Amino acid sequence: MDPGFRLMERIRARDVGAFEALYDAYHRLVFGIGLRMLGDPGMAEDLTQTVFLKIWTAPEAFRGGSFVAWVSRVTRNRALDVLRSRAVRPEADFPADLPLDGALDEDVMAGLDAQRVRDALAMLPAEQRGLIELGFFGGMTHQELARRTETPLGTVKTRIRTGLRTLREALGEGVSR
Amino acid sequence: MNDALDREAMMELVALYALGLLPREEAALVAAFLAGDDEARAEYLALRAGADAIALSADEPVDSARSARMKERLLARVRAGDASDRAVARRRIGPNAGWLWAAGLATAASLLLATITSVQTLTMQGQLAQAGRRNATLSAQVAQADKAAQADDREDRQMISDLFSPGSRRYEVAEGAVIVRGNRVYFALSKLPALPKGKVYQAWTLPKGGKTVQPSLTFTPNRDGVAVVPLPVDATKVGAVALSVEPDGGSKLPTTTPTFVRPLS
Repeated sequence: MDPGFRLMERIRARDVGAFEALYDAYHRLVFGIGLRMLGDPGMAEDLTQTVFLKIWTAPEAFRGGSFVAWVSRVTRNRALDVLRSRAVRPEADFPADLPLDGALDEDVMAGLDAQRVRDALAMLPAEQRGLIELGFFGGMTHQELARRTETPLGTVKTRIRTGLRTLREALGEGVSR
Repeated sequence: MNDALDREAMMELVALYALGLLPREEAALVAAFLAGDDEARAEYLALRAGADAIALSADEPVDSARSARMKERLLARVRAGDASDRAVARRRIGPNAGWLWAAGLATAASLLLATITSVQTLTMQGQLAQAGRRNATLSAQVAQADKAAQADDREDRQMISDLFSPGSRRYEVAEGAVIVRGNRVYFALSKLPALPKGKVYQAWTLPKGGKTVQPSLTFTPNRDGVAVVPLPVDATKVGAVALSVEPDGGSKLPTTTPTFVRPLS
């Protein structure tokens, strides 16, 4: 269980110390996602503020599971909101509420770190990695990816599916159910 | 329609869904497909795990000055907000004017302290004012986007949550499943035959203990025969549901042999 889970219990009780500890532990991740998606450190900083203030004001939104996975989804969806407001209008949303229970994402995220994920991504063929990262951090739909990369839609789908499967395998047993 | 080919096409969409790349409409179709296909659901959960992990690749060191500045801004707002919240709570609780005055003074002092903290921060960090303005603009933009999408999102997320929850009851039918959670009931259908021209599918509900079906909404599935439909009825009062093909605009009573009839028990 990542430490965020326990800290969130204390934050629900309005423990500012726990909130500070949560910030210390996860602001790099939140800022990093914001920076990758928005491409501007100032906007990533503002996004980080927005996400953590939301956590403080509505901690009940976290309903268990992996805090890392949850806060990543919240951050990505917030960044998508910003991109939408810029009229870039990405249409895709991360299915943030799924699944609501089960230990899957806790199992996955436990024991993983940024470098291990980066290494696993680096092992993917460039055309698979590029689509996955552009889709995930660029907030694009598969149709937009096809247009942007001038790749047939079917090829985009196949590469993403294959890449995601390979990534799961590369990340090892932690990702297996 | 070739079922094997269609299923393979849907399985490719499952990966996109796991990665969060599908537009809302397609995402709803995949959610319906997943609700009725155990193998696809297992693939989704596994791929979602990989997708979740991708975010971690963005976790990189933040320079210490930025990190400290963000933290200071955040905690100043948290503390100011809490002081304000406490003052509101006190006003609600205590009718005593003198006490209120003291509480107001305390609140003012807290806010003043927070303000002083902010001013000190401003002094220390020249960029903060600019960041604050940018944050206000960003917050306004986000709030605007939020407002527009909020109602739709709430319904969509509620529905998707219901479709997947182990707490939901699933009633299998040949074309998919009827899913009930709490007082909500959904048709999650993925194998509906194509409709003749001028026809629609119409849902029907039979009240518990009732003998006559009530007309519910009409709908048209997509070209792959997929439809996810929340029925506008209190599920706790429904004994059975049915589906039939009806003329466009719907009927008051079924005019064709039902596609399915499913007791909810």
